Amino acid sequence: MQLLDIRNLTLELETPDGIVRAVDRVNLSLREGEIRGLVGESGSGKSLIAKAIMGVLHQRWHISADRFSWCGEDLLRLPYQRQREIISRDIAMIYQEPSRSMDPTAPVGEQLAESIPDHRLEGVSWWQKGFFRRKRAINLLHKVGIRDHQAVLHSYPYQLSEGVCQKISIAMAIAKDPKLLIADEPTTALESTTQAQLFRLLASFNQLKGTSILLISHELETVAKNTDTVSVLYCGQLVEAGETAELLKNPRHPYTDALIRSVPEFQPDLGFKQQLYALHGSIPTLQHLPIGCRLGPRCPNARRECVKTPQLERQQNHFYSCHFPIHRGGADE
Amino acid sequence: MSDLIEVRNLGKTYRKATGLFKHKEIIALQQVSFTLQAGETLAVVGETGSGKSTLAKLLVGIEQPDQGEILYAGNQINCSEYRKTNQFIRYIFQDAARSLNPNQKIAEILHAVLRYSTVLSAQQREQKISLTLRLLGLLNEHANYYPHMFSGGQLQRVALARALILDPKVLILDEALTALDPSLRAQIVNLLLELQQKTGIAYLLITNQLRLVRHFADQTMVLHQGQVLEYGPTAEVFLQPKHDFSRKLIGSAQY
Repeated sequence: MQLLDIRNLTLELETPDGIVRAVDRVNLSLREGEIRGLVGESGSGKSLIAKAIMGVLHQRWHISADRFSWCGEDLLRLPYQRQREIISRDIAMIYQEPSRSMDPTAPVGEQLAESIPDHRLEGVSWWQKGFFRRKRAINLLHKVGIRDHQAVLHSYPYQLSEGVCQKISIAMAIAKDPKLLIADEPTTALESTTQAQLFRLLASFNQLKGTSILLISHELETVAKNTDTVSVLYCGQLVEAGETAELLKNPRHPYTDALIRSVPEFQPDLGFKQQLYALHGSIPTLQHLPIGCRLGPRCPNARRECVKTPQLERQQNHFYSCHFPIHRGGADE
Repeated sequence: MSDLIEVRNLGKTYRKATGLFKHKEIIALQQVSFTLQAGETLAVVGETGSGKSTLAKLLVGIEQPDQGEILYAGNQINCSEYRKTNQFIRYIFQDAARSLNPNQKIAEILHAVLRYSTVLSAQQREQKISLTLRLLGLLNEHANYYPHMFSGGQLQRVALARALILDPKVLILDEALTALDPSLRAQIVNLLLELQQKTGIAYLLITNQLRLVRHFADQTMVLHQGQVLEYGPTAEVFLQPKHDFSRKLIGSAQY
């Protein structure tokens, strides 16, 4: 079943220098039980999209979309109260820096207990609620792989390591059994051994409960290993989307191609200390976005047509938006 | 030919007061020895608290070692001779944006470096700055910019310029590539490789990204709780990690 279906999502911000369009007509869809990766460099608007889905964007942002449906209901056209109800029931998010997104003044146990929704405790007499809440909090900690719950429940976020904090924020997120879990760069603050642990944890929730996961990251290699489908963003434009394996094997957009080729791991033929493939130039700032295809000035195959924004084209389940897509027909297969 | 840098039995202990008369000793580094040749890269990997950054700080002279010695081209380095050694060994911080003074133009930052460690005249300094900027793919006009006017990748280049302007023999990169976006990281990696080929500079790369280590480093050292677990050519360390911990660390990169 289609869980999330977003068409032409546009996020704009009014600034003294005019309107800045940070996210430009992005499509995003998620089926039930799917793990989708959202890859993009800084300033590509991936966190903005996550925030727009959660409905926590600042009021100054103008959100518009042709379709923004969650389980068949268009969220943007619902009254605010109803929108909040649906989102808080079904969607949970893990933030980038776990220790900074928690309340520093309250013990972890209290915060975790608070995140357990009331309807989970229905049928429990009021004098027992506190007890059951605590019991459930401990249960959640066990689920995310923290065995020593006593010590953790009574500590403050600053006393815990970043990895443990991240696990706790996952516990908070799954407290309400969400249908969709948005993980915004969950592993940037972590070490590589903890990272592997965390991805196993996310994968197990996906398998056991059928939770869909939107994994946001700027590292293509972590996304490649842990997702079914992937969307690549550049400067707020959707560049390419499709099944992960297919997209890695057969990138159609020069940007995706460059991303793949800049990772030594994907290049088995690359010699030791050889030059990596890199696009020249750097990511433009939001105030100075090029018109048309935003990759234009950095793109190796750019031509005159590129000043017009390319339409999203489709080949089976593979979407790309480029006037001059890369064709790798049989040459390297 | 003697080694460019030789480190023998380096050790560092921090003392932390736990009471009025009591104190606790934290061993940050223990018995670390390695050598680094010109034109080579040594990668130091390990988790947080393994003593990676302490090692870097000891080498540049921010901290003083308790045991052991650091030899540069056969001569021992003393912390008190910082003015002399800082020309050979330069250090790049993790976050370029925060390590540059926001109140100074790039030219002022670079002038200050040259004024402190060289005897060049103002005009020679001017020349040196424009040469270095061009080496790193920046323009002369960039000298009049303030740090906030640069993007992330360019800032990293400026930080590199500040380090390379003294023509060092060793450059210590403390997680300097971690925070960069993939396409910019590839650019900087290319730049570093090119410089190594051209000038024979040696790098000490402190990082968590094992993929990069594999591509970049001639030697790899795995640190754990201040001790060296593995030290050898990168390919060997990756293929046959001897220790349980390093096996776990290297395995996690391929999960």
